[in-house]
Amino acid sequence: MSAATHETEHHTSLGVDNRKLLMWIFLASECLFFGSLLSTYLIFKGESLSGPGTDIFAFEITSISTFVLLMSSLSMVLAVYGAQHGQLGLMKLMLLITILLGLTFLGFQVYEFKTFASEGLTLSTNQFGASFFVLTGTHGCHVGVGVIYLTSLLISSVRRNGIGKETPLYIDIGGLYWHFVDIVWIVLFTVVYLIPAY
Amino acid sequence: MAEMDAVHDAHNEHPTTTIREYLLIGLVLSVITAIELVMSLYTTALGAILIPGLLIFSAIKFIIVVAMFMHLKFDSIRFTQIFAFGFVLAASLLTAVVVLFGIDASDAIGGGFIGDPIEHHD
Amino acid sequence: MATATDGVGAVQAEQSKVWEWLTTVDHKKIGTMYGLTGFTYFLISGLTALAIRTQLAVPNGNVLSAELYNQFFTMHALMMIFMAIMPMGASFFNFFIPLQIGARDVAFPRLNALSYWVFLSGSLILFSSFFLGGAPDAGWFAYAPLTDSEYSVGSGLDFYCVGLIILGLSSLMASLNFAVTILNMRAPGMTMMRLPVYMWMTLIVSFLLILSLPIVTVALALLYFDRNFATNFFTPETGGDPILWQHLFWLFGHPEVYVLILPSMGIVSEVIPVFSRKPLFGYSAIVFAGAAIGVLGFGVWAHHMFTTGLGTVPTLVFTATTMGIGVPTGVKIFNWLSTMYGGSIRFTTSMYFAVSFIAMFTIGGISGVMHASPAVDSQHQDTYFVVAHIHYVLFGGAIMGIFSGIFYWWPKLTGRFLSETMGKWSFWMMFTGMNLTFFPMHFLGVSGMPRRIYTYDEGFGWDDWNMVATMGSYLLGVSILIFLVNVFRTMRQPATAPDNPWDAPTLEWATSSPPPEHDFDVIPEVHSSVPLWTNREMGIVTPEAPEGLHIHLPPPSYMPLILAIGVGLIAVGLLAHLALVGIGVAIATYGVWGWSIEPTD
Repeated sequence: MSAATHETEHHTSLGVDNRKLLMWIFLASECLFFGSLLSTYLIFKGESLSGPGTDIFAFEITSISTFVLLMSSLSMVLAVYGAQHGQLGLMKLMLLITILLGLTFLGFQVYEFKTFASEGLTLSTNQFGASFFVLTGTHGCHVGVGVIYLTSLLISSVRRNGIGKETPLYIDIGGLYWHFVDIVWIVLFTVVYLIPAY
Repeated sequence: MAEMDAVHDAHNEHPTTTIREYLLIGLVLSVITAIELVMSLYTTALGAILIPGLLIFSAIKFIIVVAMFMHLKFDSIRFTQIFAFGFVLAASLLTAVVVLFGIDASDAIGGGFIGDPIEHHD
Repeated sequence: MATATDGVGAVQAEQSKVWEWLTTVDHKKIGTMYGLTGFTYFLISGLTALAIRTQLAVPNGNVLSAELYNQFFTMHALMMIFMAIMPMGASFFNFFIPLQIGARDVAFPRLNALSYWVFLSGSLILFSSFFLGGAPDAGWFAYAPLTDSEYSVGSGLDFYCVGLIILGLSSLMASLNFAVTILNMRAPGMTMMRLPVYMWMTLIVSFLLILSLPIVTVALALLYFDRNFATNFFTPETGGDPILWQHLFWLFGHPEVYVLILPSMGIVSEVIPVFSRKPLFGYSAIVFAGAAIGVLGFGVWAHHMFTTGLGTVPTLVFTATTMGIGVPTGVKIFNWLSTMYGGSIRFTTSMYFAVSFIAMFTIGGISGVMHASPAVDSQHQDTYFVVAHIHYVLFGGAIMGIFSGIFYWWPKLTGRFLSETMGKWSFWMMFTGMNLTFFPMHFLGVSGMPRRIYTYDEGFGWDDWNMVATMGSYLLGVSILIFLVNVFRTMRQPATAPDNPWDAPTLEWATSSPPPEHDFDVIPEVHSSVPLWTNREMGIVTPEAPEGLHIHLPPPSYMPLILAIGVGLIAVGLLAHLALVGIGVAIATYGVWGWSIEPTD
């Protein structure tokens, strides 16, 4: 990192880092993305013509996976804490835990989708199936991207074996993405699973 | 570490939250989720307050994560403004679409100027 | 032997030139590529329009088959909107964001290159549909259930879904980049209220795209699922809802209209003060009007859907918001007029285009506000009146603005002046041609001629006006030809343009024409919204470059290209065979990995 770049980073017009600003604007965009999917789901809620409806949900499984994702947010924030306070070991451990929790969540989702399919609910069964799978599947894809993202952060931090000047920023931005995926699930869990159908 | 601190501007300090506080926040989030789950088991008993209650709890969790875990409470106000703009826009537009689907316009022809005002909400 | 060696040397030089452009992260080169690609599609799309007009010149025309006609009008719109006007806008954005805000490049140079290459791959995919079983043929808004696999059997609509998602991805990345650059990389002293109006419009356009593209991405993905994975989001027989498509599409589609027009509004806001020798009248009013258009633009989408029967209250609400959005637009028009009032006006070609922008856009704007009335809208729905309206806004507005910008900025882009004489010839032909083409469509629409019909019988009273419109479109073609000759002749002349030939106030004129690779020797300090005029009056000159100037520029990278090839292959895979998706993902992953470990110093 040359002195010149350091200088320009210090004097951005808003006093914030470009990359972090990009991530926040991107997350604002993602709000519209998930909003569109969620409203599609809500419009078709209760419009099911045939086949299984929301009574197919298994609350035990979903509650556990929700808890898992919530805890992954906690471990993520501790990884950021580690990076910001120069605690390399804490950072790496917490990143690893976050990745594992993310994978666990994905495992639960695959299991859930498989169970639903075996009970006769697929993409083409009815409106509920189509909108449910697309909505939660898209969220699952985001979790998957997040797992890959955090894994690459972990690998690069293992490779350099130390906290570089920019590491706290990179972990912080990765964390923003991960927490966003978590808050999307906070909304989805309530709106899709907890609020009953009429 | 001195060099690292120099990179950050005065209002871009690391949040002062300690590990203990983060763990406490995690606990609060878990408890709220547990309450939500219990609520969803008593749908008939809770009646009309069920849905608003669940939404409020969900909003509280949302705000806690955004403010504390995503550090919006400590970070530049610009981030909050940008994210809030996107979120509010998404919420209002997509609520509007859902509401538009709920309106029974079957009696309205060619733009809805013929026929009764909407009293046939469904 | 010597000649052979020379030949090899020339070939290598040629290759390294190509390699330089393929790996460039320089915003000016990327802007040039956007401009050339966009203008090429503009010409192709113009040719499809001429074919359409030829078909409609006389009753029962038989130049195009009905199938080809449907493909042509659909692709005409898609190419003009997504592959011509938007990239030509992006070309100017690329070139002038860093120059106007006083930065050395955009915030993320490699992301900028990636946006272009993804745009190119997406546009090629969409365009290739002509040769691969038929282009999309359901109109650019592709209303369900016509787009369902039952009614649109070929693969055209799949190309539509995938192509537009890829083009949207490119626009999203570019917009994120532009927004961050404008918000965060301004020169010292350049506060938000000192930004050139063009930069404000760019910022608003970026946010419009960032916030509206995700919605259409969802809609397109759902349509793709409907067509390929047997879901039923938009098919009514099985519980789906075609109206949902209209909502999702127009939630994006209406902000998109402002995405097309706001850059041109920004251009004329730069051009008119310069050629009137007066600062822009009511700078803050224009900025706030632009922002108001941006916000209100999200609240008017359902006026495209009045005839679907929204219900009385929603209809009234959308009538009100649609009329409301006319107010900030009107504010801008009066500001431009007031800027010219009392100014010492120089009638350059650029100014001709800018002034005619105001006039033509006002006509288009007024016919737009007419449709805020649901009664009028119901009458005009799907008639040529609407075609007239959008072409007054998009040709008379967006294209006229872009041409104004081309003539204004050409010296800065290339160091050469376009010929004013030929420029005025092409202006008058374009002005006459567009009014001859599109004004009669108002009459045709009111007398009931529907849009999107590939031919009509005689005896409806449509014959004469259709012939006039076709003649006008040929005149438009000639005007574009003259412009092309102008460009080629200009480019053969030596680059002699001075730094600031028009005596303009904004920062892009503070550096040489064309600008050096690092844009500015010294980043200027800004003290007003018209920095170069302030400097002139106060006798302040930009600081001299220090001796032994060394400016660090980001190194070229081929990772954006690789990543874009990966994305393109994923898209092709979605259309052809899923195995290709896997290869695409592998290539893209390699691109991301190489991107993240490659040194940027």
